[in-house]
Amino acid sequence: MPDKTRFSSKQRKRRQAVDKVMRGVFLFCGILSALMILLIFYFVGQKGIQVFLPSYGEKRQSLWNFLTGMSWRQDRGVYGVGFIVINTLITSFGAALIAFPLAVLTGLFIVKLAPKNLRVVFTTVIELLAAIPSVVYGVFASGSITGLVNTIAGWFGQITAGGVGSLSVVFLLAIMIFPTICSMAIVSIGAVDRQLELGSLALGATPMQTNMKVVLTAARSGIFAGLILGLGRAFGEATAVTMVAGNAMIGPTINPFDPTRTLTSTMLSGLKETTGLDYDIRFSAGIVLMVIIVGSNLLIHQIRRRIGGVTNE
Amino acid sequence: MNNRRRLYEGTTKGMTIGATGIAVAVLLIVLIYVFRQGIGLLSLDLIRGNYWSENINIAFEEPAAKEFKKPADLPKDAYFSKKFGFALADREDPRGADLMTVVYIDPDSPLHTAYSTTAGATQGKHVAIHEEASIQRIQYLNTDGDKKTAGPARRMFSKDTIKALDESATELVLMYYQTEGGGIWGSIIATLILIGVTLVIVLPVGVAAAIYLNEVAGKNKLTAAIRSSIEMLSGVPSIIFGLMGMAMLFPVTQLFGANGPSILLGALTLAVVLLPVVIRQTEEALLVVPNGLRMGSLALGATQTQTIFRVVLPNALPGILTAALLSISRVIGESAALIYTMSTIISDSPSLLQPATSLAVQIWAITSAEQPNFELASAISILILAMVLVLNITVKIISVRLNRRWSA
Repeated sequence: MPDKTRFSSKQRKRRQAVDKVMRGVFLFCGILSALMILLIFYFVGQKGIQVFLPSYGEKRQSLWNFLTGMSWRQDRGVYGVGFIVINTLITSFGAALIAFPLAVLTGLFIVKLAPKNLRVVFTTVIELLAAIPSVVYGVFASGSITGLVNTIAGWFGQITAGGVGSLSVVFLLAIMIFPTICSMAIVSIGAVDRQLELGSLALGATPMQTNMKVVLTAARSGIFAGLILGLGRAFGEATAVTMVAGNAMIGPTINPFDPTRTLTSTMLSGLKETTGLDYDIRFSAGIVLMVIIVGSNLLIHQIRRRIGGVTNE
Repeated sequence: MNNRRRLYEGTTKGMTIGATGIAVAVLLIVLIYVFRQGIGLLSLDLIRGNYWSENINIAFEEPAAKEFKKPADLPKDAYFSKKFGFALADREDPRGADLMTVVYIDPDSPLHTAYSTTAGATQGKHVAIHEEASIQRIQYLNTDGDKKTAGPARRMFSKDTIKALDESATELVLMYYQTEGGGIWGSIIATLILIGVTLVIVLPVGVAAAIYLNEVAGKNKLTAAIRSSIEMLSGVPSIIFGLMGMAMLFPVTQLFGANGPSILLGALTLAVVLLPVVIRQTEEALLVVPNGLRMGSLALGATQTQTIFRVVLPNALPGILTAALLSISRVIGESAALIYTMSTIISDSPSLLQPATSLAVQIWAITSAEQPNFELASAISILILAMVLVLNITVKIISVRLNRRWSA
């Protein structure tokens, strides 16, 4: 009678083979997921660069004119992305300028000042704000923010194109990146060592002095990480921005009441055909967008390292 | 000194409270705005209705003339038919063309017994005539038993049509009637197909990748590289995923027979978008499974595969459920990537290999059209908001329960 408590060598081999195959499957899925980012760069890059190559034929674009061009006229076949980049930077940083202080102060209030049972409510509210889809913010913005901007323009004696333009985009983006920055602030403020606070209080600082000068300083690394995430969202936000940007054909524009055009609104608006130069050049704009996102991330990482160098981390 | 400190305390505290107040106010304003704009339109008819209106012929089960009383609160330009119990008025469509529309129907009116006579799937089915419905032609029997026609097709508008009916008609024969459009049923079906196909693709791959990272992989450079690549993927804006879908995944869908944007292409693209979400959520769930369980299973002679599938994964199930719910929430809200990969053509009968719109993309399609329809957009927004908020709150509850389970 065979010994049922032990595996035969055949069974053992089969068990090992199954293990090996399954490990292979898991590794394959892991590598497939990791490859996606490279594939995105490769495919979008290849399609975006082809319009500048001689093989594109008659409609080939000049890379220099594309990067420095100050007008985008689909009707005339003129594609210059220079002013669009400037407008994108202006609107995104403008939004960050409004949202960043508000988000950090809100995070401070939620973690340090709010009563304990309110803290959970507020944190959930912030998370829900982050979960609201872009297109809903877009409907809200094109219905109400544009009206607000139109009224503001009236005070300054300015005329708007129905309220669409830079200022509307700034307000919209400020609302949209607020929860991103705020939830990072909540996490990093909550992680600050209690001993630091107690030390500050023992030295005679008031609770708010401690919060503003010690807690925020200690949490700055995470807060700036939130800023990076927020800016990334602002640069890449497409649907809602397109609804209120107004798609100016020339620029850059400094007047906050003028229509503007961001990289994403350029890629999204007037999308009809799926072939031809007008379609392919959107991929080129996509490359520029990715370069801006990566570039701004690096820049803020540098700034963060400088600020982080003041005290020990 | 004391006063200055007190002032500092007061102003800084006030600033934080003010900032929080602004945040809460903005959330409330967004919610209130969307609800006030859209709630009036939200109804079962909207949800079950087609987006495109079509012209059909309708006949009546009880076509005979009766006696009706004119209601007191009719619009001034409306004409009431005393024989058939409905009122007509002249309107203009958005393009400025003249229309004749139904503005009132008496509860006992023959119009409530309408059924379709146009060949097709709906033939013989009951048609609920809605108010503001446009009517092109009315055919009736007159007192001599002859068929007569009235309506805009005969250059007769409300006044003349009602006059003709009330003077000589005994029975309604036919109406050429335009069904109500502006519904969202097609987009709801498309969204459901999209959610299903996306989850079928992303869940196995994502969970397997998470198992690799957490259970199989050693701590080496390859693992670190895989981890940071997946991390980078989550920072890519969704519109770039749309470009990627058209450039990289479109040839894949062509193998299945798609020849343009399609729901399948949208699902493949969203699967890539959601990979980091699924991997992260699953990994977090795997991390909290106590190591003792794995050790126990292995010590009892189970293979690693058996341990993963019989011991680790069942314990990580709530985390995988969380991943699925978050994925559904993202699919419902996603727009930019889908505008590229699924097109903005609203379809009433979506299928996997044809272009269609999800609910979010339908909002985009109707607000970027020449005649933006913000009321409908807000009504759809309410639905999207409700679904997304419910899903996210559920996720929150699950994760709180999960943490309690292992810490207890």
